[in-house]
Amino acid sequence: MGVFVFLPLVLPLTAWPVARLAEHHLHPRTATWLLTGLSVVLAVCSTLSLALLVVVGTAQLPGNPLPDAWSDPEVRAAVPYDELAGRAAIPALLAVLASCGRTAWHHHRVRRRAARALAGLPGSSVVLLPDDRNAYAYALPGRRGRVVATTGLVRALTGPERRALFAHERAHLTGRHHRFLLAVQLAARANPFLRPLRTAVAYTTERWADEEAADRIGSRRTVARAVGRAALLSGGAPPGLLPGLLSGFAAAGPVPRRVAALMGPPVARAWPSPLSGAGLAAWGAAAGTTASALASANSAVTLFLILKAATPL
Amino acid sequence: MYRPTGAVEAQEGGGMTEHERDDRGPGAVSRRRGQGELEAQVVTALRQAGGARTAGWVQERLGTGLAYTTVITILTRLYAKGAVSRERVGRSFEWTAVADEAGLAALRMRRVLDAESDREAVLARFVTALSPHDERLLRGLLAEGPGEGED
Repeated sequence: MGVFVFLPLVLPLTAWPVARLAEHHLHPRTATWLLTGLSVVLAVCSTLSLALLVVVGTAQLPGNPLPDAWSDPEVRAAVPYDELAGRAAIPALLAVLASCGRTAWHHHRVRRRAARALAGLPGSSVVLLPDDRNAYAYALPGRRGRVVATTGLVRALTGPERRALFAHERAHLTGRHHRFLLAVQLAARANPFLRPLRTAVAYTTERWADEEAADRIGSRRTVARAVGRAALLSGGAPPGLLPGLLSGFAAAGPVPRRVAALMGPPVARAWPSPLSGAGLAAWGAAAGTTASALASANSAVTLFLILKAATPL
Repeated sequence: MYRPTGAVEAQEGGGMTEHERDDRGPGAVSRRRGQGELEAQVVTALRQAGGARTAGWVQERLGTGLAYTTVITILTRLYAKGAVSRERVGRSFEWTAVADEAGLAALRMRRVLDAESDREAVLARFVTALSPHDERLLRGLLAEGPGEGED
């Protein structure tokens, strides 16, 4: 398998250009599916490669549970720098597994706590919380998804803006956007090079819900105003962000970009031309992902054949 | 409102956790799941009473076989959240509802959301926090369009 086993660990880098360009040049639904798909495939391949390295790496350790024959020189020769790579792969794989487990558990816990917070209220599909000081709204997925909003937010919006807000949250629930978010968060845990894709998908799912809401209520401008005014109400910089120090050269955050996108022309649903920047980036990512899949498959098959040959039956 | 001394609270708190641990019987799992629901029931009972009531009254009113200390636990938790107020009468407290069930849910929800970060958010919120730079940009964007000047 040679150097091929290392490729899936770094090939996620090929998805960076498309993660940057997709949000401007693709319809948010297409972008979400594309980036999530790339993330998942690249993460699986990367983790598989790590596991193969662990097999070779652990075979050298005294007292490991693997068959003795697996530490044959032929097996170790399958991986370049087998000692270093094998040793490094063990903590890396453990870290990936622990990190993914923690993320999944965190998801489960937050959703359970949120559902529990609403216990004792009637089971309507929209929950209005009497809280005038905090303006927020979110979609709580579950067997029967609910939209939760505070009076502080709802009262401050006009009638059409409220419809935009609820249409946006419904779009999250019907589109099952939380699954995309969980998938890319897990992928980013499996390989840190996939973090830009996580950030991009967090943005494209919001854009997706914005566009669905705009279709539903028939006005992009109203959705833009609802998003913008809600953000100004919820207001305030996140704690830890130093005003004045970072703000000068900070790029625009997600909310102004969403508002600007809604105020601009609608995004075409068609794919961009393969010769445009976004088209090339998408091709690059597709090629990288294919290479990653082939490299990890090739490495897995090779190692399997070597181990089979080395193991006396 | 009378503020109890720290010593009294600490004493009560210690007793509660100990009792909670003792209470992990067969019903412990279902009771844990129903914590939010119990809080809502206590608040409802106090609201229906329309005035200050003792923990003993709440226990009797709920009538679900809850231990007295469990009722005290729930009341103290509600007090910490600002959902009930209490006043010392003689040697014990009398409790009054401040929030209703929905208000209680809002308090609990706030705590769940405060613990969340935007980057790894589980609950996709309608909007995320703004930096001062974003805020200026956003005000500019909203002021741009025609007929947008009513706020």
